[in-house]
Formats: sequence, structure tokens, C-alpha cells
Amino acid sequence: MAAPEDRKVRSLAELPQAVDLPRDLWPQLQAQLKAAPVEAAAPVPGTRARVAPLRWLAAAATVAALAVGVFIGRGLGPVSAPGTPVAQTGTPAPQAAPLRDNAALDAAFVSDPRYERQRAELVQSLQARLNAMPGPARAKVMASLTAIETAKKDLENALGKDPSNALLQELLINTYQDEMRALTDVHEAGESGKGI
Amino acid sequence: MQAQVQENRVEWEGALVQRAAAGDTRAFERLYREHSGRVYGLCLRMTRDAQLAEDCVQDTFINAWKALSSFETRSSLGTWLHRIAVNVSLAKRRKSGPVVEPDPEGEDGETGSWTLETPVEVKELEEAIGALPDGARDALVLHALYGYSHEEAAQMLGIAAGTCKAQLHRARKLLKERLKLEVN
Repeated sequence: MAAPEDRKVRSLAELPQAVDLPRDLWPQLQAQLKAAPVEAAAPVPGTRARVAPLRWLAAAATVAALAVGVFIGRGLGPVSAPGTPVAQTGTPAPQAAPLRDNAALDAAFVSDPRYERQRAELVQSLQARLNAMPGPARAKVMASLTAIETAKKDLENALGKDPSNALLQELLINTYQDEMRALTDVHEAGESGKGI
Repeated sequence: MQAQVQENRVEWEGALVQRAAAGDTRAFERLYREHSGRVYGLCLRMTRDAQLAEDCVQDTFINAWKALSSFETRSSLGTWLHRIAVNVSLAKRRKSGPVVEPDPEGEDGETGSWTLETPVEVKELEEAIGALPDGARDALVLHALYGYSHEEAAQMLGIAAGTCKAQLHRARKLLKERLKLEVN
């Protein structure tokens, strides 16, 4: 038990809810997780032939989040740091100060001018791809976009309150890296003529 | 202050859930480390068997991992995990022994606060709880220890709210006899 067993209590609510596990189950659990992938929230029925377009859609969804973040929220201005909340073009971000304390993140990822340039180029070409999407595909993209934006906001908010949290920094960097990867995939798919 | 801490934890947890749902096992490990103690506590009290409870914890987290994308981050992850853990524990218990259906007699509105007239050692109280019949113990653990309402506990256990109250009434009576003191 988490509390000494000879401790006296006056109510059942005082009993510890958590009990120490006799051993760490994580290594065993981790091995099993690899064989049990996360199930999709709303699986789309279809055949194997549809797998590639669906993957493309997933990639496009990630990129669409970026596109909305940049085109709608920030216009075509410079891409800001991942810790910076979305704001109208030319308007200073209201919570920028505490989030910008995350210097390690800036240094590690976003302040790199190559990153900013590549991202801006990819986003620019992405807009045309979004415009060319059929309605249902665009709807799926927009649905995914909401989830992605929520994740980013959660991470940014959490980092604003705990800027030195290494795991949060890593998670946010991973999220942005995922976006970049997807952005590149969509760009390459567009160049090679593959589409939805 | 407490509310702020809780709010931060929920935000932080929401971000971890999102990452885990995308397949990030490191994020899921953090969630496991945060919740495994409470899940194990619940499973242990329901099964009364340390090895079985460990299996339940594993199954709970595997089921949670598979279904993470259907979890709504606005609700409590702890409660969601407890629901899974209760289902897993009940299923394991059914496999390992006969099921005694709850007896709904004696239902009369269980509204006490589960305080004891004199303090009792944790060990003695845990043993008394562990000696209760399955149905009464399940209801008691979820309601009095983990703070779920009659309706929530009943829903988790797949029984009627009235039956849950009856089980609590029975648990109170049996605890009183075993501990030889009033349970209010």
C-alpha cells in the first residue's frame, strides 16, 4: 500500500487510492503495445487499394493544420515559433512572452532560418493543393485539422506554464516535425502527379 | 492553488493523450506512470489477488492504448481508465470463479459518509474490506474509496443504481460486524 499499514484512519475515504505495484509492468506492456496498434477513431471502410489515398489524406490533414495556422491565422508573414499562439497578421501574440521563455525549443528547432524558409515554401504550394481537393477530402482534412490544432494548443499552453519541461518540449518538437514530414510528403505527391 | 494544479495536470494529460493516440509510446508511458497506481489499487481490491490484479492492469492499459483515439480529452482519463479496469477485473473474476449475483434486498438509500466511530489501522480496514462478498466490495470500493456516485458505480458495474445501494447497505452492515464498531 502507498500508506503505512499501521497508520490509523477514521474514514474509508482516507485509504490510499493508489497502491504500489510490486514490479514495473511497463517493459512487458511496451512489448505488447507494439503488437497492438492504436485503433483509428473513425475507420473508413475500403479495400487495400484505398490505403494510399487515405494515407495521403492523413498527411494532408496534418499539413492543412499548418496551412490554416499560417494562411488564416498569420497570413503570409514570417513563421513564428511553435510556442507562439496563433494571432492575426501584424498583431502581437498576447501570450508570447512566457512561451518565448522556451529558449531551448527555439534554439533547437524553429529559429533555424532553413526550417522557416522550407516551411514557408511548402506551405505556399500547399494552398493550391487544398484548393484542388474534392469536398469530402477537404472535410476530412478539416476534421483532422481540429484535432491537431487542439493537440498543439494543449502543448503550447502546458509549455507556457512549465517552460522547462523537457518532455513537453520534445512532444511539441515531434508535432512540428510530423507536420514538416507530412508537408514534404504532400509536396512530393503533388509533384509526381499522385493525388487523391 | 489545488484547482490550478489540477487544471495544469489535465492540460498536460490532454497533450500526452493526443501524442499517445498518434502512436507515441513515450507519451503513453507517462500516462501509465501517472495512473497505474490507482488502477492497480482498484484492480487489487476488486480481485483480491496480486497476480490477477497485475494482469488486469496490463489488460487495462492495452485496451486503453487500442481505444485512445476514441477517448474524449474533455472527460477524465482517470475515470475512463477505471471504467476499463472495472470491466477487465469483472471479466477476469468471472473466469476464475462463479459469479454470485447481487441480492437487492435491504435497499434503503445509502447516504452515509463511511466514517468510523474510532480510528482503525489501514491494514485492518483493508482486510475487512477484502473479506466482503464480491458485489458488496465492488460497490464499496468504487463509492467509498474512489468517490464515484451510486449511479456512476452502478454503471461501471453494470447493475442498477438500487442494487448498488443495496450492496452498499450490505457492505456497511458486514463491516460493522467485522470491525465491531459503527460505520456511519
